[in-house]
Order: sequence, then structure tokens, then C-alpha cells
Amino acid sequence: MAGFSRLAIPLIAIVAILVVGEALSPGFAAPRQVFNQLTVASFLGLVVIGQTLVILAGGEGIDLSVGAAVSLGALVAGNVMNGSDAMILPALAASALTGAAIGLVNGIGVTRLRIPALVMTLGSTGVITGILILMTNGKTSGRSAELLSQMVAPPLLFGISGIVYLWILVGALATFVLHKSRFGYSLVAVGANEQAAAMVGLSVPWIRLAAYVGCSSVSALAGFFLIGYTGSVFVSIGNQFVLTSIIAVVIGGTALSGGSGGFVGGALGAVVLTLLQSVLIPLNVAEFGRQMIFGLTLIAFMVLYGREPKST
Amino acid sequence: MAPSPSTAADAPVLEARGLAKSYGQVVALECGDLTVAGGEIHALLGSNGSGKSTLCKILAGAVKADAGELLQRGRRITLQSPSDARDAGIGTVYQETSLIPALTVAQNIQLGIEARSRLRLVDSGRSRREAVRRIEDFGSTLGIRFGPDDIVGDLAIDQQQLVEIIRVVSRRPSLVIFDEATASLDRVQVDGAFALLRRLREEGKSAILVTHRMDEIFSIADRVTVMRNGRSVGTREVRDVDPAALIDLMTGAPADAPPVSRRAQGSEQPILTVRDLSSDAFRDVSFALRRGEVLGLGGLQGQGQSELLRTIFGALKPKSGEIEMAGIPGAPATPAAAVRRGLAFASGDRKRYGTFAIRSIFENLAIARLAQSRSPLVSRARLEPRLMQSISGAKLKFGRLDDSISTLSGGNQQKVVIGRWLDTDPKVLLLDDPTKGIDIRAKRDLYEMFSVLQEKGLAIVIYSSDATELLEIADRILVINGGHVVDELKDDRKTEFELNAAALKGA
Repeated sequence: MAGFSRLAIPLIAIVAILVVGEALSPGFAAPRQVFNQLTVASFLGLVVIGQTLVILAGGEGIDLSVGAAVSLGALVAGNVMNGSDAMILPALAASALTGAAIGLVNGIGVTRLRIPALVMTLGSTGVITGILILMTNGKTSGRSAELLSQMVAPPLLFGISGIVYLWILVGALATFVLHKSRFGYSLVAVGANEQAAAMVGLSVPWIRLAAYVGCSSVSALAGFFLIGYTGSVFVSIGNQFVLTSIIAVVIGGTALSGGSGGFVGGALGAVVLTLLQSVLIPLNVAEFGRQMIFGLTLIAFMVLYGREPKST
Repeated sequence: MAPSPSTAADAPVLEARGLAKSYGQVVALECGDLTVAGGEIHALLGSNGSGKSTLCKILAGAVKADAGELLQRGRRITLQSPSDARDAGIGTVYQETSLIPALTVAQNIQLGIEARSRLRLVDSGRSRREAVRRIEDFGSTLGIRFGPDDIVGDLAIDQQQLVEIIRVVSRRPSLVIFDEATASLDRVQVDGAFALLRRLREEGKSAILVTHRMDEIFSIADRVTVMRNGRSVGTREVRDVDPAALIDLMTGAPADAPPVSRRAQGSEQPILTVRDLSSDAFRDVSFALRRGEVLGLGGLQGQGQSELLRTIFGALKPKSGEIEMAGIPGAPATPAAAVRRGLAFASGDRKRYGTFAIRSIFENLAIARLAQSRSPLVSRARLEPRLMQSISGAKLKFGRLDDSISTLSGGNQQKVVIGRWLDTDPKVLLLDDPTKGIDIRAKRDLYEMFSVLQEKGLAIVIYSSDATELLEIADRILVINGGHVVDELKDDRKTEFELNAAALKGA
């Protein structure tokens, strides 16, 4: 598999951060602590799965509205549940549908109206944020059901939380689809060369549309589970995922130009970013310092990948 | 033979001796010789790939020669760049204009020679007046439909070409090169452009006219140099030759290979019928294709052949006309619809329309089959043997199926691009210059692939810029010129001579 060399880079980064973190504050690399980190990483990880879909589909595909989708998904879920265990499944369905609708709008804008993805998803972010403010008046709104909170954050099995299992499940499913399904083959073909894809009879717009729908749906689901973690929803709950999801995709070795990459790399990227974030906490690095270190990390990974031979 | 300064006045305005140019393994120009006298209009004639464009580009300073020399009035010159050529008094009008679309006509005409104020700033008022004077002086005979302040990008293509002509000619070069610059012009405009050339000739200036239109050569040129396979093969006084003699010169000695014995024709029931199909690029094209038949599309490059193929394949929309495939009428709306009806397409422009460069050989092979598959899942274990079986005749050379397709040679990449269709069981294969830039061995392999397919009853429509190839593999050839089918060649008229003659007929 050609992908292994790419995965080696984020893997090495993870080990390095763990070693440095353990040296700085003993216990950082202890299993319990690592599992906690994985729990935090899993929300970002779910969003990264969606972001990877859109970026793989090429055509300068990117989704800046993942944060808004997370927020809206969480808000819808919180308001449907409002603390009631019985409403968990309806809430799940409602936030999934919300996500699908966002993706449909994004996908139609990009594929049919030919609006650049960057602009389209930035625009839909604005609209969704407006809706969020309108619905909440800027206050927290909706409550997680007790059962959902029990399933998401506390250790479920072998000390690992439910959300991590779910992340692994969704990631494995996405990987299976990418490598073993007609849709997966078509997706990377469209990303690698859309004109050639059209000439073998693939429907480029439909495939890209599906990628956007998938991305927003997974993001809204991340929002659904996020409310199980935080308990309640505030408007900007998803904002943190916009840039981090893109950085994680890049760290995972997926080409921003589309057509090459995968979900395993993206998952490792999400872990790298989460660990990096927490290793900086005991160092008392101020927010500006963290931002700088994130930026430098991204550039460092780009340099590493830039040195690889072109063909993968 | 070294010219002394005293003879410089009678020396040719420009003389090219043994110019050569290669791009990697491909020899574009082997031995370009050309002598242009003062006050002469010199035509340059040759089929696609004969080297005439490369020769012109060297004279225009756009391409550096690997070997050979260039003399201007007996003195050796070297042209490092287009601006060197301009300084040497050589102006070139290309088929694809070098105008800046966002600027006005006047700004384009004065580009680089703008009037300057004392502070070296552009004096736009004076520049514009200068341009207006040039347009009036040189545009009057051309049938122009623009004003000095029109934006060039808003003009029709023929009008842009006229702006380019005015821009180059009004700078009074001692030698002007028209590199197929009349291709987009109509009769009246061509006559106007020729009037300008005659005027330059009367002033003692010279012109090189690259054209595919035989009638143009006979209406204006004094001499003509013919190129074939990268070499200048002869220069003639135009009044001493006739078109047939020129075509003989272009074609060379009759090809030594006898016509390949034709494979058995299939049934008479047409599998693909095209009736009066028209678009912007071609007009009223009709043909009927039978099972097992190879229909060639001939003619010079860019006469609408590619657009015709892509229209049949549903990638472009026709303006009018009918396509009937296997008894089902109606043009396919998309390539996907075309594929469902049993059409397949492969282009010689592999990078753009063929390969998924960053993906593996396996994926590149499998994708056409998968695009047709109804099953949502892919079983590589089942698919791989089928694909390998279907391309077993292609002599594909590769390392592992999981290697990137970029690891293959161009010829092997093309085998994949065509081979990916074989397992989809197409009825008609559309080929758009499929062997462009491929070495001769791989070409042979592809021809073999085609003939195996043909024996299975597959019909092929092929456009090729290589006349020899077309003559060898096509059962009959529709020659397309300016978007019209001007001739149909078959049986004993299927010769290189007839092909050239039809391709060069005035549209």
C-alpha cells in the first residue's frame, strides 16, 4: 500500500508529542490520559471524516461550514431531546437530516450554480450562524438526555469512551466505502481528474454533491454527540472545528487538490492536533502562542510532504 | 560563399539553413531551409507535423533552434526571444492571437510602442490617436467591425485576428509571417489581408504565408516551399507548378506499404447513424456506421473532428441534427448516457481526458467498468482477472497493478485508457487522435488492439492527425475541412494524395 509512508509521518508526530508531554508533565502518556485525549479528539475526528470526503472529491473542494453544521446539529439535537432519553433517536434523526440539508445546499451551490466551494461554504456558514443566533438569542439552548451523556463521555468498555468506539466505527465504514465501493472509486476518480471521470461516464456533479451531503451530515452528527459531552449548546460550539478539520486532513496526507488520501491519515491528524493542544496547556502557553504553534505545525507537515516524490 | 558587405543588398531578406529542433525524443524539425527574397511573398506548405510551425516559431524568436543558422541580408543573426525578432524587423501574426483581451483595440495596437510623455509616462491620448491612424490606414480594406475603444475580448474571433494583423503590419516589419493567420477569416477578409501583403510587397518588404488553402497560395504567393517530415523538400515558383504537383511534393514518394487487405465487412445494418449533425465547430455531418467498420475522420487539425466525436459521445451539445444508436434515436445528453448505449471514447489528450494520474493502474483500468456497474461494492478479486483477461492482447508493460499509472510510458498509459473499455463490451469506439505522441511500437500494439476489437464486431470512428495511420486502419475516410465533410475516400481513392487534396481544398 502506497499510503503507509504517508501515515508514518503523523504517527511519528504522535509518538514525539507523547514523549515530550510525558517529560514535561509525568502521566501525560498514561493510558487513562491518552483515552481522555482520544475522547476529545473523536469529535474533531468525525468532522475530519466529512472534510476528507469533500477534499477528496477535488474541484477545489473544501467545506468551511462544518463548524456551523456541528453547531446547528447540536442545537437541533438539544432542543429535540431537552433532557428526555426517549427523544434520543428522534434527535439523532433530526440532526442527521439537518446536516444532510446543509450539505445539499452546499453541494447544489458548488456543483449546479458553480459557486467556488470556499465562497459557497463561507456563505452558508454566515446563513447558519444567523439562524443559530435567531433561534437562541445567543444564549445556551437545549439539553442532552442523560442516557446520551452516559454513552458518550464516560468509559464504556476497556476504559474507552463510547464516542471513541463510534468514531472508529464511522471511520472504518468510511474507509471501507472508499476502498471497496463503487462510490469510493468514483470519488477519487472525480477528484483526480474530473474531465477524465466524466469521459468514462461518471456523473461528476452527483458524486461531489454526495460528498458535501456526507460531510455536513457527519458534522451535524458530531454536533449531536458533542452535546452529549458538553450537556448543552452554545452558538459557537462548532467554530473550533473549521480550521482544525482542514489542518488534520492535511497532516493526514490527503492532497488538498483532491483524488488522493484517506480517512486513517485524517484520524491520525485529529489525534496530533488534540495532543498538541493539550501538551501546551501545562506549559501555560497563551492563546496567541498556541495559534502560532498550530500554524507552524501545519507548515512543517506541508514541508515534509512536499519532499516526497510526486507520485504516490 | 560568405557574402561580402557589397552583396548584402541583393542577399535574401532572410535565409534559414539547416534549422533543427527536437523536443526530447520527438524531432519537430530536422532540416529547415528557407530563403525569402526582398519584395517576395513566400508560401510555406506542409501537412500536420511537417515542421512548418516549428520553423516559423524559430524565425519569430519564440523557439530556439538546436542547430542551423539564420542569415538576414547575408549577415548571421541569432534570435534569443520574440523581441529580438521584432528588433530584426520580423513580425509574426499567429492563428491564436497574442492580444490582451482586457485592453482596448487601440491599447493592443500600441502595446509596447506607446507614445511617451517627457516623464516617460504613457501619453494615452497621443497613443490612441496614433492607433486610430493605424486602424484607418491598414483596416480600411479588411472589413473591420470594431472601433479603437472596443475591448478586444468582446470581439468575435475573426475581428480579433484582424486587430492582430493591423498591429503587426502597421509596424512595417521588413518580413511579416502569417502563421495560418487566415484560417478564421472569411473570403472578403482574406482578400483584404492579401491586399495589405501586396502593399508591403510593393514597398519591397517580404512575407511568409503559412496556409493550408491551396487557392491562397495560387492567388498571392510568388514562391512556395514545401515541407515534409521535418525537412524542406523543395521550393518552386508558383507560376511553374499546379496543385497536384505540390501535393505530390508534400506526400513524397508513394508509401511503400501496399494497402492493407481489408478485413471482412460486417452486416449492412448501421449501428450508429448520424444525420445532418451541426454545432459551432462542424456542419451537416452525416454518416452511417456498420458493425466491424472503421470510419476515419481526416483533414487538417482543428477542423471540427474532435468536437464531432465529443458531440456523438454526449460531452458537447449539438445544435441540430440526429444521432441514432442501435435503433434508439436522440443524441446522448451526457457521456454517461452515451456509455449506457454502448459508446466508448478515448482521447489522445491523455492527461486531460484519459488518465487519473495520481491513481493506480488498477483503478485506471477498472473505472470504466465500475462506472457502469450496478453493484455498490467492488470485488477486486473478481474484477482483476476479468480486466487482465480483457487487456491481455494489449501487451501492457507494467510493474504492479498498484503502481501509479504515471509510472507507465505514454504508449502503455494509452493502452490502459483504451483497454478500460474492453470489459464494458462497447458497440462503438470513438477515438480522438488516439496515438498522439506515442512511439511506433506502442502504436502497432494499439492497431492490433483495434483490429481484434473490430473482428469482434466493434465499430470504430477514429480521427487521426497522422495520415498514414488513418489510411492504414480506416475502411473509409470522411475528410473534414472547416467543419464540413468535403469528401469521402474509399477503395482506390483512399490514398495519401486524395487525402491531402481534399484536406487542402478551399473551404
